[in-house]
Amino acid sequence: MPKKYHIHSKVTPLDLDYVYKFKIERGENCINCGKCTKVCIYEAHKRGKGGDPRKMADPNTVVCRNCFRCIQECPRGALEKSLDKDFLNIGGSYWKSDMFITLWKQAEDGKVPVTGAGYRGPFTGPGFDSMWTDMSEIVRPTRDGIHGREYISTSVELGRKLNHLTFDENGKLLSKIHHTIDIPIPIIFDFPQDNLSPNVKVALVRAAAELNTCILLSADDIKADIKKYIKNIIPLISHKEIDKHQGLIKSVRFVALDYSEEILSALPALQGKIKKINNVLTIIRVPATKSVEDIVAKLTKSGAEIIHVVADYRGMENNGSADHNRRLAKDIIRAVHLKLVEDRIRDEVTIIFSGGIAMAEHVPKAMLCGADLTAIDLPLLIAIGARLYEEPEKILVFPEGLEKISVRTVMQRIINLMGAWHSQLLEVMGAMGIREARRLRGETGRAIFFEEIDNDTFGKLFKKREKV
Amino acid sequence: MKPPSAVKIKKMPSRFKHQVPKYKITRSDACINCGTCAKSCPYGVHEKREGQNKMKAPINYKCIGFECKNNDFYCVAKCPRKALSISLNPMYETLGDYRWTADMITGTWIMAETGYPPERTDLEYNTGNSGGGFDKLRLKFPEGRPKIDKSEISTEIPLNRRNDGRANVTISTPVYGGGMSFGSVSLPTMISKARNATIWNTFTCTGEGGYPELLQPYNDHVITQVATGLFGVREETIQRVKIVEFKYAQGAKPGLGGHLLGEKNTESVARMREAVKGTSLFSPFPFHSVYSIEDHKKHIDWIKEINPNALVSVKVSTPNDVDMVAVGSYYAGAHIIHIDGGYGGTGAAPDIAKKNIAMPIEYAIIKVHNFLKEEGARDAMTLIASGGVRTAHDLAKAICLGADGAVIGTAELVSLECVRCGNCESGRGCARGIASTDSELADLFNEEWATQRLTNMYHAWNVQLVEILQKFGMKSVRELVGRTDLLEHIDYSK
Repeated sequence: MPKKYHIHSKVTPLDLDYVYKFKIERGENCINCGKCTKVCIYEAHKRGKGGDPRKMADPNTVVCRNCFRCIQECPRGALEKSLDKDFLNIGGSYWKSDMFITLWKQAEDGKVPVTGAGYRGPFTGPGFDSMWTDMSEIVRPTRDGIHGREYISTSVELGRKLNHLTFDENGKLLSKIHHTIDIPIPIIFDFPQDNLSPNVKVALVRAAAELNTCILLSADDIKADIKKYIKNIIPLISHKEIDKHQGLIKSVRFVALDYSEEILSALPALQGKIKKINNVLTIIRVPATKSVEDIVAKLTKSGAEIIHVVADYRGMENNGSADHNRRLAKDIIRAVHLKLVEDRIRDEVTIIFSGGIAMAEHVPKAMLCGADLTAIDLPLLIAIGARLYEEPEKILVFPEGLEKISVRTVMQRIINLMGAWHSQLLEVMGAMGIREARRLRGETGRAIFFEEIDNDTFGKLFKKREKV
Repeated sequence: MKPPSAVKIKKMPSRFKHQVPKYKITRSDACINCGTCAKSCPYGVHEKREGQNKMKAPINYKCIGFECKNNDFYCVAKCPRKALSISLNPMYETLGDYRWTADMITGTWIMAETGYPPERTDLEYNTGNSGGGFDKLRLKFPEGRPKIDKSEISTEIPLNRRNDGRANVTISTPVYGGGMSFGSVSLPTMISKARNATIWNTFTCTGEGGYPELLQPYNDHVITQVATGLFGVREETIQRVKIVEFKYAQGAKPGLGGHLLGEKNTESVARMREAVKGTSLFSPFPFHSVYSIEDHKKHIDWIKEINPNALVSVKVSTPNDVDMVAVGSYYAGAHIIHIDGGYGGTGAAPDIAKKNIAMPIEYAIIKVHNFLKEEGARDAMTLIASGGVRTAHDLAKAICLGADGAVIGTAELVSLECVRCGNCESGRGCARGIASTDSELADLFNEEWATQRLTNMYHAWNVQLVEILQKFGMKSVRELVGRTDLLEHIDYSK
């Protein structure tokens, strides 16, 4: 049995300007009786305003867990609580403000978010929120559960595969088996922002190396300080500059090319040319446009090994039209997957999906819809305290002083986040009774889609009656 | 057997000085402290102490809000200086969520305090804001005046429908309390649930954490759970009850087993579970001795052998094939199939599981009810739904979809003034003393208070259920089962 893949999380707080959800204000009618200090079990209330022990200090809302004890027990009703305006402003329609709190927390402790008192969100929502993963009452992935001694594999295989094997008359294998590469989690790191401070950039690369996954970087960004981790770096090169980057290609395992029509026509030769330099796998990055499934199918037929479908940061199609006319991640992936299945070439190619992968659950869901693995960027930056605003236009705000934080701390927070996501992936797989992440791909039979089940139950029941 | 009308309700106010206010009254500088508002407001929002010149700060939570403007004592209109104004309190937004709205929590608190649904008309306490499932279904009442007197209406349901010579257990109201183990909730919470179950002639469930001795006086109203960890399961605990429940899975964490974090595994909890104090306790998933319906039957036979009179309930979550599981349980000899949907649950569970794994209960009820009917087994089984039944209206809707009754958990905890902050698992546990075994926190209320709050809430639900049945012209809640024709869906039924 192979060694168990384990992500080493370590509690790593980041003392930067976080935003918190609740705001408590002390009214002027406070009589400094100190009742709130006694009832709050999270120590939000303390004495000592301006060093004066007779006066109550301003509430420390950072620790507030919304239990209402101080509010309800203050003899004067002097405390007021509200949702913090800064908090509500973060994110937007896709990146909900609550997501930031949970991503920050996972980056801090590397643990699976656990709460009591049931689910509190909407019944269903757009995209990934309109599907559930199935479970099984008696089938299980291992004899001793997901935390047991047996191995549940989250690794995925990248590269081109054969549709079938051919043998000669003597039973000798004729087919040439393609080169593939395993990575232990179905997540790679997508391009980081341009404006990252050097410590963050190095930390991202080192975290990818530590996790044994890969990070996509522009060839020009690969400087001496990260050369050590070159096996975990996927350089993006222009197909016109293959010769120029010969040295780089010799040292890596993958290269990435941006899709263009030119690439499509030149493909077999282009890959051949790269392969001559070094036996690396080529990833072709295709924007998720309206006809992405046709492009992916054509590329696959031309011999593409790995295709990376890139949606926008909210998991939407890039087609330039209004939001409601754009497909969402779930439907883009399903369309690509189904097209390849129809053309009977699905198994030959590896599909990476990125765009809008914001929470751990999106990884298995993207895979159930048909992706082999996912690529992420924003959650990694949120892990180190970044805030995202969708309106009026996408903007990322980094905490002040981030550039002075040690590489080790930044890296550990990214590792923690991935540790928490990995554990959550195990939870979902455990419930489904699936023991290999590879088998999640396209397993829509183990998913429950809102549109289908709602129509099958409520639709049947209530629409039919109206007709009668 | 005691009818619901024999249950005594008694006003049982909040344990806290203030409640969470929906409105905010602002007094401007124009106030001349004349005290007119204090004299006119019958709810005690405004106060002016004798001998004091200044008005006290308004007590917001007592205010009934904008609807007061039709009253001749409306303070805003009465104030000679126009110094008062009413607005929604920003604090109210910090209470509740999509599923349990602030109005629903407030409404449940009022029921637990008074024993009746709120008289206020400014609270939407019957449906939540989740935008799906129960929240999109509406009861479709016929026109005209009801012809049946409320006293003729029965809310009783039988739990043994197999005719197998075992006890004919009936419950007076089609609801019972969900399994919350000792450790996940405090002992006073557990005992109060059992006392309320006795008063209402229904049941509560031990969950998977052993059978505390203090529950023994209520044996006839306790369901004991046999779950995968077999924590606290003994022959004598099986023998002392009327219903034994096999827990295969739970809706909030389907396929993940039970989970008690080390911090809550205190000395007394550990003793009850025969475990080591301070260690996290996992019930594995699933039963390691069950691979098939035959194995399942073997387990049920074992329980039936140990307790020849007991009924057997099977609790499962809601995967795609929940209908097959239900029929399998019927063939294995179970009396009750208890399906637990994903959106409920009380204890600590991974967020990813609560939101994403297995289907919501609304779909599962229809699936199971129909499949049992097709297999000719529906009349021999009692179908109980849980995991998202928050209100009496949810209960009625679940029954219309095909359930016989429901199990509730969160609604009970909210009656005990849970605010659903969700920190049941962290540090010392529940800040409100409901789900904590911390010696100080678990002492925050007594059993008299808690029992009465639960009894009042059950009463308010029963009042609502009887009203619903009366409007439909039904004499028994059993007539409501599977009546999807009495429901409409706000998306489809147009």
